[in-house]
Amino acid sequence: MNRKTVRIIALRSFALVIVLGASQTRAKDSKTPYSSMAPLDQYLMTDGNAEIALARSAAPESLSRDAEVFVLGRHGYETAVKGKNGFVCIVERSWMAPFDDPEFLNPDQRLPLCLNSPAARSHLPLTFKMTELAMTGLSKTQMFDSIKAAFDKKELPLPEPGEVCYMMSKQQYFGRKYGNADPHLMFWIPKTDDMFWGAGLPGSPVYVHQYSPEPITEFIISVSKWSDGTPAPTD
Amino acid sequence: MNREIVKTIALVVVLGAAWQAHAVDAKALYPNMAPLDQYLIADRNAEIELARSAAPVSISGDAEVLVLGQHGYETAVKGKNGFVCLVERSWTAGIDDPEFWNPKLRAPICFNPPAARSYIPLTIKKTELLLAGQSKAQMFESIKSGLDKGELPTQEPGAMCYMLSKQGYLNDHDGHWHPHLMFFVPLTDSQTWGANLPGSPVLASKDTEDRLTVFLIQVAKWSDGTAAPTDTH
Repeated sequence: MNRKTVRIIALRSFALVIVLGASQTRAKDSKTPYSSMAPLDQYLMTDGNAEIALARSAAPESLSRDAEVFVLGRHGYETAVKGKNGFVCIVERSWMAPFDDPEFLNPDQRLPLCLNSPAARSHLPLTFKMTELAMTGLSKTQMFDSIKAAFDKKELPLPEPGEVCYMMSKQQYFGRKYGNADPHLMFWIPKTDDMFWGAGLPGSPVYVHQYSPEPITEFIISVSKWSDGTPAPTD
Repeated sequence: MNREIVKTIALVVVLGAAWQAHAVDAKALYPNMAPLDQYLIADRNAEIELARSAAPVSISGDAEVLVLGQHGYETAVKGKNGFVCLVERSWTAGIDDPEFWNPKLRAPICFNPPAARSYIPLTIKKTELLLAGQSKAQMFESIKSGLDKGELPTQEPGAMCYMLSKQGYLNDHDGHWHPHLMFFVPLTDSQTWGANLPGSPVLASKDTEDRLTVFLIQVAKWSDGTAAPTDTH
């Protein structure tokens, strides 16, 4: 597994925390190549079946074949396949990246996930809300404020116990800097300390991303194989 | 916990007849409790070190450490970060585990705070009961009663532990096996995490006596930073 890549992602998350802690200016639009939405078509996949296959590639076929699958349409996510096992697979877009990610709104990003039932119940409302905000054409600052307000008003749910999310697609694309990263599992918990799982410490196999403004902590554990069974790169 | 490990390893190894033969042999080898001294580690510092080897020193260095004495686990080192490390013995295995009384078994584990609160009481209680002379059946009946009465806790959200010790000995068949993390949840189906399916990196074992399910994920390195053998499942 490519721990180096995950560490980079964790560092990116850490950088996010630092920037957030410093000021709210991190949510302001910057003059990066992806500071505003590209034309919607660039975020869409023209081949619905390709998007379904990409979504399913987030987890081994034994799990994803019976999962519900969402695809992104012109007005948001739509159910493309009904599921039978409680899992939901979806390809998230770059607006689900940290707000200060330089590639936030990069139309090339494709982030396939398969979520178990508790994760689907709590995470998908956030995905759908962010997608709605992005498609409305709001600025990053407006999106940040809107998400913060939604959590403050309890309009968006907190993570439930027992959430797990698979990100094992060899085709996942985090953007120019991180490429397809490495296969990993993610666990969302209502905001807690890194130390809750001993994350981010030297030698720990657990990495952490503290969301903001969402009151959520994400723990990340790399795994050794992609969903197709091929080995991931090692250190 | 060794029951979970053994079951899980069985899932991974899936050696069929070979595993069955091993189980039969083990049951014959360990029919009863051995003399207590065989389960104890004479050198207290060695047991502390072994317990801490379950996690990287960045975690275990500030953890509380429990060691096994004549009457049960005792605090050997007070901690500062909420983690608790100890070396489990064979009797945390399941009631039918052929190595339930294997005195060679040493399972170093470092528990995070929720697991320290909700899982360790099971280990401490089982140990106390057996060292006080209860039979295996009596011990499990006592655990059932404790859970029924709420004297023993259910697993808290986020309960997990580290098992990254290269010095561990989890059973006669697999020795230290692979470094892994374990997650404790109230009894649930393995499917809730997509565990035990072909290609899944998550393994699971239902522990009905303790009323919990253990999910297990292998990781790449031992606690000392050295690389583990390549995954076999």
